[in-house]
Amino acid sequence: MNISMNELKAALRRCFEATGYFVGNYEDAANMILWLEKHGLNGLGELKRALPYIGEDREKPLSNVVYEDNTSAIIDSKGRSALNCIAASVDLAHAKALEVGIATVTVHNCHNRKFILKALTDCGRRGISVAAYWQNGSQTITEHTAAIKAGDRYPSYSEATTSLEASTDDKQALTIICSSRVDLTSSLQHSRGNRNASYITPEQVALNKEHSVDNGIEIDDALWAEINRIGEGVLVESSERSRQGAGGR
Amino acid sequence: MTTPAAIKASLRGDNALPLRPASQVMDLERLGAMHQSRLSFMRTLVRKIMRERWQIEPARFELDQDGYGTVVYEIKAPHGLFSFVLFSNYLAPEDRNDRVIATQWDLTMALVDGEVDDIYLEKLRQNVPKQEAGRVDSRVFVLSRANRSARNFDYVVNQLAQGEQPDVKKIADVGYLYRTTAVYGSGKLGMADWEKVQSRWPDFARPFAAEMFVCLMLRNFSLLQAEHIAQHKAPDSYQPMKPEIKRYFGIGNSTGLGMAPYLINHPLLINQWVEMRELALARVRVLGNIDARMLQQLKELVQRSAIHTQQIMTEDDWQTQNNVRVLEDLAALEQRVEEGVEDWDSLIHWSEENCSLQGQELLVSVLLELYPELVNDLEDYCSAEEFLDLDPLMPVAQLKEVIEQRYDWALNLDFGADGAREIFWYRSEEKMEPRLGNTTEEDGKEKQMALGVGYAVRKCYDQLSEYVAEHPEHSTARFMVARPKLRGIVRRIQSMNRCIYGDIQANLLHRDVLPMHLLRAKLAFFGVSKFDPRSRLWVRNTMFQGAPLLEDIGKTFNDDWFMPLAPQQ
Repeated sequence: MNISMNELKAALRRCFEATGYFVGNYEDAANMILWLEKHGLNGLGELKRALPYIGEDREKPLSNVVYEDNTSAIIDSKGRSALNCIAASVDLAHAKALEVGIATVTVHNCHNRKFILKALTDCGRRGISVAAYWQNGSQTITEHTAAIKAGDRYPSYSEATTSLEASTDDKQALTIICSSRVDLTSSLQHSRGNRNASYITPEQVALNKEHSVDNGIEIDDALWAEINRIGEGVLVESSERSRQGAGGR
Repeated sequence: MTTPAAIKASLRGDNALPLRPASQVMDLERLGAMHQSRLSFMRTLVRKIMRERWQIEPARFELDQDGYGTVVYEIKAPHGLFSFVLFSNYLAPEDRNDRVIATQWDLTMALVDGEVDDIYLEKLRQNVPKQEAGRVDSRVFVLSRANRSARNFDYVVNQLAQGEQPDVKKIADVGYLYRTTAVYGSGKLGMADWEKVQSRWPDFARPFAAEMFVCLMLRNFSLLQAEHIAQHKAPDSYQPMKPEIKRYFGIGNSTGLGMAPYLINHPLLINQWVEMRELALARVRVLGNIDARMLQQLKELVQRSAIHTQQIMTEDDWQTQNNVRVLEDLAALEQRVEEGVEDWDSLIHWSEENCSLQGQELLVSVLLELYPELVNDLEDYCSAEEFLDLDPLMPVAQLKEVIEQRYDWALNLDFGADGAREIFWYRSEEKMEPRLGNTTEEDGKEKQMALGVGYAVRKCYDQLSEYVAEHPEHSTARFMVARPKLRGIVRRIQSMNRCIYGDIQANLLHRDVLPMHLLRAKLAFFGVSKFDPRSRLWVRNTMFQGAPLLEDIGKTFNDDWFMPLAPQQ
């Protein structure tokens, strides 16, 4: 079915609020998914893969900083989804970059890393350049990179299927490079064995957005129903008493 | 023509104008005492329509003799052609309900981009009358519905059918034929998102302009429908309504709690509206030249405001007392003006010492009314990009200072006191209707909406103070990794600190909270009048009373429908 961006955002917010996300985090999560979908980067596909697990993060410990110096940090996200922890990692890279010019933050044990694109875009809009790189997959390894220049509104994004061997100690890692001095761009190298490579320019990302603004978002009926079903968790049962709380006489 | 740079220079820095402080302006009770002004959205919309001479004509007029059927108006505005589509259906009196949970209405409406052909009209007919139970596409950008004020409507039809005019006294009691009970935009039910409205349709690119336009069209249709029915009822004796009486009809509006969360969830936008209103006042305070003609105009507006207030009918004791106090304020103001006015600054100070909040804010609206050349150009600056951005570099000690300076009102509240956290705001499973609950008597507190900004700030401050003691050298970004639960409130605090006015200063969790103040503040920005509270949670009011009629477009226009009065009969 076709829905508006605002409908998707509101339903996602309820969905993540009902899942136990904190104030601030549930807005971030909704915005990250919407941002990908709105810009033609399959946010709903990513969500569909993440949805069965989003409730599990409630039981997991919070991310912590395992190493830090002036120009870098390593954050252990404890197996959490990027939807509830990656924005804080990008913020830390952003703060360090403002202090020292360029900084690197490596995040370990973080799922759904493609959602970082919204956080990168926020940095670009605010005058900071960022690049990110990660690999994904337990059997077939894909690799991904995204980057935005300072002051830009749209990032570039590349992905490819590699011929790399799956590693048993895969750390679900992501590297963020952030700079207040250097404009970073990124694209995947033509590495031997890479296939299905794609590179989406900032201009294409911008065009995809225009299409969504004009036409709204297409969503699979079952996924839409599932988002709304989870979101019903924030609604309170109605009663005669509660109807009075709406102002009825 | 003003510019963003000129506005910025007037708000901050060496050349800033003397703005009223946030502690005064953002107090909830004062916000709830505001009145319509020439910056209200209804006023700015009507100015635009009149100045640009929009062409609005019926393209389809299929009403039976009882006024039921379909009407489509085409609107030719400078940047596009739009259609206003209206379905009028029979509704049994017992099915008429103003609440969000209603499922049937007398009228349902849609504002649509472009011309509407038969196929598309059929699609709208299948969905628009169902409102929340229907779906539309992104050609539609406003959906609304309205219920008849049965007493008034039948009376007006009968009078016109008999060749008589409606008694103006009766219209003064209830100044409308229909009440709209919801006006939806911004992507609801499959409609175009605000981003599309703002970027694709410049004619409606101001906040709530399209929603206000639908209400204006509804007002026009309500008069046309009454005349249509009367004419069919008694073609021989029928007389049309006199234009001056027509103009005195507005559209009724019934607003409940749903509007309250909007104000808390869009703090940057609300701040922008307040900044423009306060900047307008500061311009008048400093630049508004006073001469005999201006003083005469002031006296006329004060007298008009008094008569308008006298003509407000409400059964609500609280509002009645407020209105009595406003009348006393206006009488005192008139006397004060007689004694001579040297400058507006001293008159404003006098009002702050001698008038109620409603009286003070009415004086503000009157002063803005006097100087269109100082005020009107700010109407183009009532939008805001709503990014609540974190400032990751801010040292935690500085964040603590920001809270102490900008949220002192929240730190001064005692959240442990009796009743301080007794209320919770939630969404009901019934159409997600926003409701208030009492934590001591009702279940559902764990599902409450995050509207207790003051309490969230307090909790944040307490945790931050401990953190600063341990890690004084850390940045906000580092604090956020350690305390991710505070991300929402920290981002809000930092973003609102970049604004002049910031957050509304009130504890919305208090047992005695009056949501009415929130509703009224927003309605005043819209430009409604005649507040008639029906409880502390919902209010009836009148929109567009005194505004020009569609048939007035293209004629001379003096933009003078502030505080409209009953016409002489």
